[in-house]
Amino acid sequence: MKVKSFPIFQKQHVAHQQTEWKKGRITCSSMRSCVRKVEWISVEGKVPPGRREFMPAEVPLVTVEAGSPFRRIGEEVTWLPLYFRLTLFVKNTHYGSAMIPMDLFDRFLFAFTIGSHIILVTMSITLIVLISASEFIGTRNNNSYYMALSRRLTKVFVVSFGVGTASGIVMAVELVNLFPGFMTLVSKTGVIALFYAEVFAFFLETMALVIYVYYRNAFKGKYTHWVISLFVGAGTIGSAVFITMVNAWMNSPNGFNIPLYVSSGTLSSINPWAPFITPTTLAQVAHVITTTIFTGSMFIGAYFALRYIRTKDPDEKTFFRGGLKLSGAMSIVFIILSGLTGSHEMGTLLVNQPLKYAALDLNLHPGSGMPERLFGYLVNGQFVGGLEIPNIQALLAQFETGISYLPGLLQYPQTDWPPLWVHTTFDIMVTGGLLLGLFLFIYFVMWAMKKKPYEKRFILYGQGVLGAASLIVYELGWITDEVGRQPWIVYNVMRVSSAANYTTTLLVPGLFIVAFYIFLIPVTFYFFSRVFNGTPLSVELKKGFEEGGVNY
Amino acid sequence: MGSVLLLLFWKASSKRVLDYIVPIWEVTGTFGAFWVVITDFAFPNILIPASKLYAVALMLFLILFVARNSTIVFGEYIIKKRWLDHKKLYQMYSLSTIALGIIALTIFSSIISGSGINIEAGYFSVPQWIGSAGSIPFILGALLIGVGLAPVFYGLHPFRKITLPVTAAGVALSSISFYFSSPGLVTPLIAVPIVLTILVPVLFMYQKTAALVSNKLVFSIVATAILFSMSFLVYPTAFGRTLNVDDFTTSGPMSGAFLIITAVGGIMLAVMVYFYLVAVKRSQLAREPAA
Repeated sequence: MKVKSFPIFQKQHVAHQQTEWKKGRITCSSMRSCVRKVEWISVEGKVPPGRREFMPAEVPLVTVEAGSPFRRIGEEVTWLPLYFRLTLFVKNTHYGSAMIPMDLFDRFLFAFTIGSHIILVTMSITLIVLISASEFIGTRNNNSYYMALSRRLTKVFVVSFGVGTASGIVMAVELVNLFPGFMTLVSKTGVIALFYAEVFAFFLETMALVIYVYYRNAFKGKYTHWVISLFVGAGTIGSAVFITMVNAWMNSPNGFNIPLYVSSGTLSSINPWAPFITPTTLAQVAHVITTTIFTGSMFIGAYFALRYIRTKDPDEKTFFRGGLKLSGAMSIVFIILSGLTGSHEMGTLLVNQPLKYAALDLNLHPGSGMPERLFGYLVNGQFVGGLEIPNIQALLAQFETGISYLPGLLQYPQTDWPPLWVHTTFDIMVTGGLLLGLFLFIYFVMWAMKKKPYEKRFILYGQGVLGAASLIVYELGWITDEVGRQPWIVYNVMRVSSAANYTTTLLVPGLFIVAFYIFLIPVTFYFFSRVFNGTPLSVELKKGFEEGGVNY
Repeated sequence: MGSVLLLLFWKASSKRVLDYIVPIWEVTGTFGAFWVVITDFAFPNILIPASKLYAVALMLFLILFVARNSTIVFGEYIIKKRWLDHKKLYQMYSLSTIALGIIALTIFSSIISGSGINIEAGYFSVPQWIGSAGSIPFILGALLIGVGLAPVFYGLHPFRKITLPVTAAGVALSSISFYFSSPGLVTPLIAVPIVLTILVPVLFMYQKTAALVSNKLVFSIVATAILFSMSFLVYPTAFGRTLNVDDFTTSGPMSGAFLIITAVGGIMLAVMVYFYLVAVKRSQLAREPAA
C-alpha cells in the first residue's frame, strides 16, 4: 500500500491578537482516501472569557464526509480525496476540533462580492456626475445632443442604482453574516453611526432620484430639474464618502480605549463621533472619490469611443463626440486629482500604517535612503526580479511627510505581515495609473492644440483599451488597500480570524451568491447597453426639452 | 401585496399596481438597508447569534433581493426581445418578492415562537420549524392578509368581493398560529389588530367608505397601527418568550448618538418625503388638461 503524506496545519488562538499556525503532517494510505488519527494535543485556549464572543461557540467542523460532522482532537477521521484534503485545516480552539477554514471562505466571499459591487458603484457615481454635467451644458446651450445624453445616461443610472442598491444590501448583510465579531465591535462603537448616516445619504439619493426620473414635469424653472440632479449626486457621493469613512476607521481605528480592548476585550471610553474623522479619513475619502470618478469616466468614455468609431450616422457621431468631450475632460481633471490624492494617501499610510507601507514598498529592513523597488519579490531576504531606483522612495517620503527613516517589515512580528504580493498589485496600480496619466497628457496636449483627439482613431482605440484597463487598476487599488491590512480586519485591534463566522452552512449559499454575481454583472452591463440604445437617437433629439425622461 | 396580484391577475391589475410600484421600488429597497443598519445599531449583542442562526436564510434573502431589484429595473426599461418582455420580468420580480416575503416571515415566525431554534448550538432547523403547529399557519395567514388587503391599497374595485373572506381567513390563521406558537401571546390585546385588519376590507365593500380606506395615507396609518399592536403582543420577548430583547439593546453613549442621528436623519427624511409629495402633486396637476 502506497503511503502518502500531506501537510496540515494547526491554528492556535494563543491570545486574541495572536494566532499561530503549527505545521504538521497526516499520513494517508491512498490518493482516494486515508484514515488517520488527528494527533494534535488539545491546548486549552488562553483566551480570556471576555474575548470568547469572537470564538466559535461550537465548532461546526468538517462536513466533507458522511456521518457526524463533529470532530475532536484525537478522533479518527476519514479524509476525502486530495482536493478536499488540501483545503482541510485542523483548528484548535478552546474546544479543540477540526474544521474547514471558514474564515478564508468568508474572506473570499466578501472580497468577491465587494469586488463586483465596486464596479456598479463606480458606474453610479460617475454616471450621476456625467448626467448632471450634460444636463447643465444642454440646458445652458440649448443643446439637444447633451440633453439626449443626459436622458440616456439617466436610464443607465436607474439600472445601475437598482442593481447596486440590492448589491449594497448584500454587503450590509454579508458583513453581519460573515464577520459578526467585526460587526459587533462596529455596532458597539461609533462606526455604526457612519453606516447609519450613510443610509440617510442613501435616502437622499433615492428620493431625489425618484423625483428626478419620474416627475420631470413637476418643475417649471429652467434649471430646477438640473438642481435635483445635484441632490442625487450629493446622496450618491455622500453614501460613498460614509462607507469610505468606515474603511478609513478600519485602517486607523479610534473612538474607544483600544489598549484595554485589545488586552481584555472590554469596550470603554466610547466616543460615537470619533470615527467620523480618523487620521486617515480625509486622505482616503479624497483618493477614493477622485479615483472612482476617474475610473468611471475612462470606462464610459471607452464605450463612447468604440461607438463613435462604429457609427456612420452623423447625428450619432455628434452625440458620441459630445460624450467623449465630457468624459475626456472629466478623465483629465480626475487623473490629476487622483495622482495628488494618491501621493497624499501614501504619506498618510507611512504615518499611520507603517507595516502596510513597508509591505507595499517591500522594505525588509528599516532605514534611510531607501530605493524605490519596482516589482520583484523577496527570496531569503534578498530583493530579486525587479528594478531598484536608488533613493527615490526616500525622496518621495521626505517630500510628502518629512520622514526620512522608513519602516521595514522586520520591525514587526512576521505573523502580522500582510501577503507580500501586495507589493506587486501596488506596483501594477501605480504603473497603470502613470500610463493612464501619460495617455491623458497626450490627449490634453492635442486638445489644447485644437487637434480634436476625440476624433482621432488611434486615440479612440487607445481609450477603448485603457478604459477597461482603468477598471483593473482601480480594482487592484482596492485589493492593495484591503489585502495590505491583513491579517487585521481592524488594524492592530481585531484579526479577520477573530471576526469571522465559522458556520459551515454558509458554504453552499455563499457559492450560490458567487455564481449569481458571475451571472448578474455581465447581464447588468448588457442591460446598460440595451437601455442606453433603447430609444432611437432621432426620437431622443426630438424630445429636446419637453417633459420626458424614462418610459413611465 | 402587489406581487401576488401581478402574478395571478396580470391583466386586471398590472396597470394599477405598476403605477404604484414602479416609482417607489427604489425607496422600498432603501428602507431594507435602513432596517439592516438600524438593527445593527439597536441590537449589537444579537449579531453573533443571529448570524449563526440565520446564516443560510440571510444568504438566500440576499440573492432574492438582488433578483427582485434587477428584474424590476430591467422590466422597467426593456424593449421586447424574443421571449423576454415586461410581463415576464415583472412576474420574475413578483416571484422573487414573494419568496423574499416567505423567508422574512419564516425568520419572524421563528423569532416569535422559537420553533426550530437552538440558540446554544447556533442552529435553526427548518424541518423542526415546519413541524411546529404554528409555523405554516403563520406564513399562510400573513400571505392571505397581504393578498386580501392588496385590492384595497391599489383601489382595485373588481376584487372587492374577495377581500373580506381572504383577509378573514388570513386573520383566523394568524391568530391560530399565535396561539400555537405560544399561548401566552394570545391576550385580550390581540383584538386590536384583528378588528383593525377586518375593518379595512369591510369598509372597502361599501362605495361611500371605499375611497376613504383606499386613501394611501389612511391605509398606511391603519397598517402601521395593525403592525404595532401585533408587535406589542410579542415585544419585548423573543423565541417563544424565552428571551428578553431589551437585554440586547445598545447602551451608554451609543444610545445618545443613535437618538441624535435618528432625529436629524428623520427630519431630513420627512423633508424629502414632503418634497416627493409636492412633486407628485405638481406632476398630477401638470398632466391634467387645463380647465
